[in-house]
Amino acid sequence: MAGIYGIGVSALKAAQAGIAATTHNIANANTPGYSRQEVMQAAGMAQNTGSGYFGQGANVTSVLRRYDQFLGVQVLEAQTQTSNLTAQFDLAQEVSNLFGDPNGGLTPALQDFFGAVNTVSNAPESIAARQTMIGSAQSLVNRLDTFDQRLSQIRESLNGRMTSSVTLINSYAKQIAALNDNIVQLQAKTPGQAPNDLLDQRDLLVSQLSQEVRVTTVSQPEGSMDVFIGNGQSLVVGNKISSLHTVTSATDPTALDVAYLNNGKSAKIQQSELQGGNLGGYLDFRQNILDPAVNSLGRIAIGLAETFNQQHQQGMDLKGALGSTFFASAAPRTTPASSNLGSGALTATISNASALTASDYSVQFDGVNYNIFDTTSNTLVQSFTAAQLTAGQVVAGTGITLQLTGVASVGDSFLVRPTADAAKGITLNITDPTKIAAASPVRSNAPISNTGMGVIGAAAVDPTAVPLLPLNANLQNLVTVTFTDATHFTVTDNTTATNLAVGTLYDPAVGATLSFNGWTAKLTGAPSASDTFTIQRNTNASSDGSNVLKMAELQTANTMANGTTSYQGAYGQLISQVGTQTRELDVTSKAQSSMLAQVVKAQQSTSGVNLDEEAANLLKYQQAYQAAAKAMAISQSMFDSLLQLGG
Amino acid sequence: MRISTSTFYNESVTSMNQMQVNIAQTTQQLATGRKILSPADDPAAAARASELTQTDSANTQFGSNRIAATNVLSLADGVLQSVTNLLLDAKDVSAAAANGMLDPAARKSMAVDIQGRLQELLGLANSTDGTGNYIFAGAQGKVQPFADTAAGVVYQGDDVQRKVQAAPGRQIPITDSGADIFMRIRNGNGTFNASPALANTGDSTINQGIVTDTALYDGHTYQIVFTAANTYDINDVTTGLPVSAGNAYVSGQAISFKGIQFEIKGTPAINDKFDVAPSKNQSIFDTLTKLVATLNTNIPTGSPMNVATYRQGLSDAFNTLDQSLSSVLGVRATMGARLNELDALNVTGENLGLEYKATLSKIQDTDYNKAISDLTQQQMVLTAAQKSFSQVSKMSLFDYL
Repeated sequence: MAGIYGIGVSALKAAQAGIAATTHNIANANTPGYSRQEVMQAAGMAQNTGSGYFGQGANVTSVLRRYDQFLGVQVLEAQTQTSNLTAQFDLAQEVSNLFGDPNGGLTPALQDFFGAVNTVSNAPESIAARQTMIGSAQSLVNRLDTFDQRLSQIRESLNGRMTSSVTLINSYAKQIAALNDNIVQLQAKTPGQAPNDLLDQRDLLVSQLSQEVRVTTVSQPEGSMDVFIGNGQSLVVGNKISSLHTVTSATDPTALDVAYLNNGKSAKIQQSELQGGNLGGYLDFRQNILDPAVNSLGRIAIGLAETFNQQHQQGMDLKGALGSTFFASAAPRTTPASSNLGSGALTATISNASALTASDYSVQFDGVNYNIFDTTSNTLVQSFTAAQLTAGQVVAGTGITLQLTGVASVGDSFLVRPTADAAKGITLNITDPTKIAAASPVRSNAPISNTGMGVIGAAAVDPTAVPLLPLNANLQNLVTVTFTDATHFTVTDNTTATNLAVGTLYDPAVGATLSFNGWTAKLTGAPSASDTFTIQRNTNASSDGSNVLKMAELQTANTMANGTTSYQGAYGQLISQVGTQTRELDVTSKAQSSMLAQVVKAQQSTSGVNLDEEAANLLKYQQAYQAAAKAMAISQSMFDSLLQLGG
Repeated sequence: MRISTSTFYNESVTSMNQMQVNIAQTTQQLATGRKILSPADDPAAAARASELTQTDSANTQFGSNRIAATNVLSLADGVLQSVTNLLLDAKDVSAAAANGMLDPAARKSMAVDIQGRLQELLGLANSTDGTGNYIFAGAQGKVQPFADTAAGVVYQGDDVQRKVQAAPGRQIPITDSGADIFMRIRNGNGTFNASPALANTGDSTINQGIVTDTALYDGHTYQIVFTAANTYDINDVTTGLPVSAGNAYVSGQAISFKGIQFEIKGTPAINDKFDVAPSKNQSIFDTLTKLVATLNTNIPTGSPMNVATYRQGLSDAFNTLDQSLSSVLGVRATMGARLNELDALNVTGENLGLEYKATLSKIQDTDYNKAISDLTQQQMVLTAAQKSFSQVSKMSLFDYL
């Protein structure tokens, strides 16, 4: 009878434990990271009575956490990918929206500017038209500057996000280390029994950590979990952590790098080590979207400034002075690495605006050669010896010239960003409308007294002259072409009193192109002997718009990317590049999110609480409890029956 | 498969969120009228749209350039129309003046008339556009191109032609040098100019003749010298060699040599000379000034030589005015051709503009039918999701306990 009581009590206890666990599950149905728990019960040790083994009731052996290690790792990986892509997508959208705005983009500013240039070419003498051109040039410059400011703001907010991401990583690491400590202590006290809720908390922290950066975990037998980032850089080992922090980049004062803090010394973590998660996403965004966008925009600014200036300098303004530079543009940025030991300093200049790329270049000294790498593709562009680089070298395919002063030490490096500052740095050099060099500096003339049928075409600055700029010092000298007879002519510079050509043969059927003193003009028809033609300074040329007409043509001229596209085309490429990247991120982040949802669903199907199931369990344990109580009541009544026998 | 209760809630909320994002996107497309709200929506189309916008705006710009060009050309053409009328009038006068019945007073009044016309021509040649720029001054719009000096009217402008960008790759000249219109008129017949020597005493005139063989004509200066009343020599002044000597003279009979041909009429005196030199430029102003001088010539009765000079002057003036007229008409013809081209380009430009706008609209504008139908569908799906969520979330075993 005592046996039946005992069995009944064990059944009551087991049912109670079941109800407690079920209620715990119901209570934590909405707790993040919670894994449902189940009571494990086993039949008690049977007693041999000679007439067989009689069971001794049920024992609760442990409380089990429904957790699948394999699914847990899958969730971590999916999570780190998803937050990486989502972080990039959110930022990329900002950049994409910036460039796509049809009213706020660069397109309307470019159009307004070239519209104004055309208007000047239609009425070169009009001060009002010239003023409009300067005004719209100012708007164009402002628009580029606004773009740069918006991109700088995005960069600043990116730096802020990186800092808070690093703070979160450190905080998670600290909490994981503290939990490790607790779990190890508890497991030591009760070997074989797991502190389920603490394990859930730690798994939740690791999952949150993996949203910031990709981590790998190793569980130790004593119960602690070690966390590593990148290629096995330890973040948490047992109850010790290595904290991260952000430092200003050695090569870019506007960018942050992530570094380890080890014994008070900080060591930069390579970007390749920080993949996945928000932090990896921020770094990827900076490298793949933000920097190229800034560079591409800068390339348009420099291309515009350089080509427009070049044409403007081939003209003459309303006051008769030769054209100056219309825009001022920023020089390439070169930064020596802060770890450099040598005295070497590098300067970069634009040698060919058309050949500029949107890439940055890293110059590394290996002790013999200075190797120039494209930082986007990480490929070697060219190598120079110290002597070559000291003399100044054009770097093939980059449009820049590098020059070294001083001596670098082995391992020294420099970052060259040809166009990074250009969108911010472009300004207007001309504010006086009369300074717009609309006219050609030279003109040709035929005296009325000529008797032949020779015609001289318009004289203009020879675009093939080498060097084109500065313009030939004798450009505006009075030059006379005199025909000694119908088929021979002599070219005399009257200002310097020198003959530029004597007795040159002339074929009236073919004509001739005259190119002297940096100008060029075409001669056609049949001049008579002693006919003359003059080329001279284009004095009083208030109505001549031949140079501004050439400036207007630049709108559609293929001046960018090695002469393959126009300013607008380059901007279109930028839009499509940013748009494509954003779209790709949109698609992949959505796909990744739904994959995450799938994995979480699978994981939740094991670990999640289903309230209906818990309700059923409640009923089950309640009935077990009632049944056990009934058994005890029967046992009671059996005992009563015995007592009555004795009475 | 087990579904955890929170999974059910999360999934429902996520999908309803996504549907709301879609609805917001469609609503924005409807509100802005733009299909591409961000380049990420369709990167290729966004880039294409940005280029098309530029092409379209450049096309519009060329349109305004063409208007500016048409204005300047029409203005110049109007002025040259007046010049043409003026030259026709002068020609009429020079023809009427040849009437032998005219008395000196009538000739005088003709001279006054032509003198007036000369001033009018100077005014026309110095025409300005609406903003005070001389239209026939080449590059020097602020410099008066034609000045009346003691040595006659001189041109102070230059030969620079202003151009406008009328279409991609097409620049159309919109001005013509005043020198080409008013100054570079070839005298004589355009190739050579025949003139009697000033010292001639006989009563004879020479006409401007023609070039019969351009291959033979060498552009030398020749002189016809009368050795007797009916005999003449031809000398090549350029080389100093005689061409032929002792030729018999018959009034009005063609004299031809070296590929040129002309006639001398009347009765030349011994030692009368006629020069045949390559044509030179003679401005319209000079032509009119000479005509005035001719009309003012005093013709004493019974002076055959003076009559001959008068006739020669009128015939030369008539001839040169003809040359001037054809030169001005030639310039007007090129202006007309440019205006025609501008018209043609306008039509092309307008058609292109429509096409660009249509393409642009196709690329970036919202298709309202599609967007509205999308919106309706998205609303329906969201409503269904909301209803099923509220139904399913009501089901709980706890309700039955």
